[in-house]
Amino acid sequence: MKFLTMLQSSASISFSEINIVRKAALHLLCSLSLVAACWIAFRLYSWSLVTHTSETLGLLLIIQAPVVIGVYSLVRQDAQKTSYWRAVARGILGLPAGALVMAFGAIVLGAPIGSRYLKSTIYWSILMSLFTFVPPACFFGSSRVDWHRLLAHFRPKEPLDALVSLPAYGSVVGAWIGAWPMPLDWERPWQEWPICVTYGAVTGYLIGTLASSIVVLFQRPAHIKGD
Amino acid sequence: MTATKWALICPFFLILILHSLAIYLFTRGFLLARTELSSFSHCSDLSLSPCSIPSSSMHDFSSPGDHLPNVVGNSSGWTRPAISRLIIIIIDALRFDFLAPSSFFNEKKAWMDKLEVLQKLAAEEDMNSRIFKAIADPPTTSLQRLKGLTTGGLPTFIDIGNSFGAPAIVEDNLIFQLANNGKKVLMMGDDTWLQLFPHHFNESYPYPSFNVKDLDTVDNGVIKHLFPSLLKDDWDVLIAHFLGVDHAGHIFGVDSIPMIAKLEQYNTILEEVVQVLKNQCGPGDLHENTLLVVMGDHGQTLNGDHGGGTAEEVETALFAMSLGNPSTSVASALNSDYCHPDLNGKKMCIGTFQQLDFAVTMASLIAIPFPFGSIGRINPELYALAGSSFEVRNNCAETCGSHSNLDSWMMNYVNNLCLNSWQVKRYIDSYSTASVIGLPAKDLYYINTLYSEAQRSWPDIIKLAVSYENDIHIGINDNTTSALQRQVDAYSRFLASVAKLARSEWTEFNLKLMGFGLCIMLTSLSVHLFTIRRVNILCKSYYTFPCSSFSFFRVLTVIVFVAIRAVSFLSNSYILAEGRVANFLLGTSGILNLWSSFDSGTVTAEDLLFLVLTIIIRFGIESGMSKDTVGSGSLSSNSPGNIGIEKGYSLWMGLQEFLPIPALYILVILMCIYISRSSCWKCLKHFFIIGNILSYILMSVHWVLESNMIAAPEVLQYFGKTFAPRIIYSIGLLLFVLLALLVTVNKNDMFLVSKSTESLAIVTTGMLSAWSPTILILLGRQGPYVALVCVLGAWCIAKLKYAAQVDDGKGALTELISDPTPVLQWNLLAVCLFFYTGHWCTFDGIRYVAAFTGFEHFNIVQQGILLAIDTFGVSHIIPVMSLPFLVISKHQIFKKESSKGFLLVNLTQAFLMYGLITAVTTTLTIICVTIQRRHLMVWGLFAPKFVFDFIGLLLVDGLICVGSLFYY
Repeated sequence: MKFLTMLQSSASISFSEINIVRKAALHLLCSLSLVAACWIAFRLYSWSLVTHTSETLGLLLIIQAPVVIGVYSLVRQDAQKTSYWRAVARGILGLPAGALVMAFGAIVLGAPIGSRYLKSTIYWSILMSLFTFVPPACFFGSSRVDWHRLLAHFRPKEPLDALVSLPAYGSVVGAWIGAWPMPLDWERPWQEWPICVTYGAVTGYLIGTLASSIVVLFQRPAHIKGD
Repeated sequence: MTATKWALICPFFLILILHSLAIYLFTRGFLLARTELSSFSHCSDLSLSPCSIPSSSMHDFSSPGDHLPNVVGNSSGWTRPAISRLIIIIIDALRFDFLAPSSFFNEKKAWMDKLEVLQKLAAEEDMNSRIFKAIADPPTTSLQRLKGLTTGGLPTFIDIGNSFGAPAIVEDNLIFQLANNGKKVLMMGDDTWLQLFPHHFNESYPYPSFNVKDLDTVDNGVIKHLFPSLLKDDWDVLIAHFLGVDHAGHIFGVDSIPMIAKLEQYNTILEEVVQVLKNQCGPGDLHENTLLVVMGDHGQTLNGDHGGGTAEEVETALFAMSLGNPSTSVASALNSDYCHPDLNGKKMCIGTFQQLDFAVTMASLIAIPFPFGSIGRINPELYALAGSSFEVRNNCAETCGSHSNLDSWMMNYVNNLCLNSWQVKRYIDSYSTASVIGLPAKDLYYINTLYSEAQRSWPDIIKLAVSYENDIHIGINDNTTSALQRQVDAYSRFLASVAKLARSEWTEFNLKLMGFGLCIMLTSLSVHLFTIRRVNILCKSYYTFPCSSFSFFRVLTVIVFVAIRAVSFLSNSYILAEGRVANFLLGTSGILNLWSSFDSGTVTAEDLLFLVLTIIIRFGIESGMSKDTVGSGSLSSNSPGNIGIEKGYSLWMGLQEFLPIPALYILVILMCIYISRSSCWKCLKHFFIIGNILSYILMSVHWVLESNMIAAPEVLQYFGKTFAPRIIYSIGLLLFVLLALLVTVNKNDMFLVSKSTESLAIVTTGMLSAWSPTILILLGRQGPYVALVCVLGAWCIAKLKYAAQVDDGKGALTELISDPTPVLQWNLLAVCLFFYTGHWCTFDGIRYVAAFTGFEHFNIVQQGILLAIDTFGVSHIIPVMSLPFLVISKHQIFKKESSKGFLLVNLTQAFLMYGLITAVTTTLTIICVTIQRRHLMVWGLFAPKFVFDFIGLLLVDGLICVGSLFYY
């Protein structure tokens, strides 16, 4: 198994610089599509997260899901062995699994349960799954070693790990921080579940995406030199 | 060995002393009561006042020049009496919307419009009765309110501490003045009155008020005495205090059948009272000049809580009806600004009334000297109700043709207001000289200016009055009225600004003492840190292997968590949501554990179980927020709507009654397994097992009999309700004493244990089995669930990730042993359990019901101890006492036996860390209270939180000291 990973990593390093830049650019596309989805919701339908929580979340999902699955399947790690459609299928399978985990985490931390919140909770957890679970599912597949490496080390060792891990960590931490204004007595509509948590997650995701792109682009020469 | 032992124990005592000193100083500075002046008003004081309208001008029929006319009996007050008898019916915790018609609110709720008889009276055209929105001042607890109502001042927070043993009022007050001036006062109902005024009543029928489970005893007693008394003439003032609504709110909440039944009962009673009074209100009859006041002492929230300063708690209602013939012109001239069509479409006006004004208004109506400390203003609307009728009818009927009723009334009112202002000014002056800090000079100057401004035009009013009397028209009538109105306004401005000043500046914070206290607290924190450092160094000497310093990441996480929790107390919202915040952090720490388990490669079942437990605790906390009283029949929490009890509902109720008992047995079995597994404590083991099993059997008997589901003979019922809990308490005490004896004699010989972990485990188990039955029975039916959650949670925390790391070699072991995460989780779990058991950090968050398990009557010491055990049992006593388990579970992973010294050093570490976490949060609470001392909610929220926190801290310190004596 270890030998296999070594083979894989050496394969990824042997890619040309242009390949890495392309991956980073594709990866930035995800955040752009997120921004575009927000813009469409606001401009075309004049929805906002505060007024039409579940509708907006649904729209974000519809636009974001194909982009994320498509992009990360395109930059998949084991491109030689796995076909594009296989990676897409992995992403589609990872979506509900990740959503379940995310929903469980949210409930542990105190997300309200009830028919009133059911729809938005489901949408929110799918969105979080898109941010966190789907990219590695497309990228690595079910490779246990890679997943472990991703979870264990906050600071990614492989250059391309950052593409997957930083946005995911960013969105989780953002959502965690986003939950803090909820108990305040300001009585603003955005303090409702899951609005501010979504704001936090999206902000964290965007920051994470940007940071990971920068990390990948700047780390690249050093890494190659080191090797 | 002994030297080391005492060296380890001493810091705990040092810290306890430092904390006590800090908290004592801070409390002295922060919870300082208003200085109570012991001066009293006297009738003769009147000659000192500048207010003297020649009395003949008021169409007085007594001798000219005498400005103390004796209209009714031997009255000798400052003012002209307007009523001869006064009936005050107090309905405890009367919300404003209980009395006001539902058309005044956006939505009609089930509990509205139940006191219809008063609404009808208020809507009648003849203007002799009226509903007021009465605004109370926080703290809105009954005792403080009664004190405020009778003294006309603003009782401060410190008195809450006396709420249990209500001390007599030493200040000048309405009841004292009544008694002192020969008025006979008859009291019935809540016995708090008798505690406040032990010697002032002519006759009294007190009933115990403290048993909140009891909805009817006080009310039935009042009803029994009220109606006969109404027909007697041996009293001047009758006070009847009903408690049913307050108790129904505390137990069932506002939206419940018992509450509505209570309101309907009051409606019938009041209807009868009004009927009796109306029959007797003819000239010469008993109630010719009687004023009926029906009022609440404070409001309540929908959960039935009160004590704070929210609108729901502060807004109560007052209904006043004068039985004399009304004078429409006067009352209608005082236009209320809050009018609405009532249920029948008639226009109805509701006045506003500050409870601060109650004492002086009543004193002026009944003509007694105003209480010395009163800072209220005579309420014009209420005064007009009674004042107009009597005065005008008696004196004005034939003579004052040319003057309007209004002018003559105004003249009288201005005179009273002058007296009122003079008395308030006198009080403020003597207060600022007598009190240590006094009032700010700027505000005092402003008030003085307002007063002298008002007083400057007073001679004009006298001139006006003289001319008025002699029937010389110095101007047109309009002029008179406007001059009087100007004077009234001037006095009102003065009185309003005094009230404002008093409200904002009343509590005198002694910033020096507070600062001292805070400094000592911070010093104690550094002592704490220093001790931890020393113990850590000591700990390292025990390592037989090269030690890596403890994991930086874990320590950082713990510091961040404690900091977040501590800083969150700076905002009132987070204090309100403290349980949820603690649960959020607990969940986060659980998730982080899961994450690190992933990291190390093996995910244990405990990780997931811990998260599931967090979810359970979280739902418990949320339902605890909405008054979760199992088995009480509260409709608001258990079934929607408020009509009828369905079949499924009763089944559900039955399940709720009996499910705790199997849960209890699971607990017993778990405990027996644990105790019997440790093989080496001989006969003692059986003693503890038998004691516990007996306690648990008695507990289930108590619950079965209490639920009234099984028809049992009276004797058995009595045994179950009263004796079973008492036996449990005594078994607990017995086991505790036994354990203490054993430990003092000689631990190691007694248990015949060679392993030090084993012996520590035995003492800890003994300690817990001594405490737990008492705590469980006090918690009521939720007890077994709480205990199960607590045991499971503790097990998860103790076992977490040890299995995973045990093979990782020595380096990981040191890291493990000095890892503060479990202690933090332990602390967070304790905080969560505090809220999970239905407590929260306000005084109505105390579960008074718990104090009466096994006891019918109130005794300050007994019930105080029971309440303390109930409140802090599961969140402070159990967690601190079971802290050794954490250390033991760490040491059990060692293959070979670790030395006793190492174990104790580790235990000291755990104790110190637990103490430090509590101390840090308390310090932040103290800082936050200091910063927010002028906050709107300081008395409603921050101060109770502070009181709970510092009691908790001292308790934790004390328990650690006790624990260290036992365990070391």
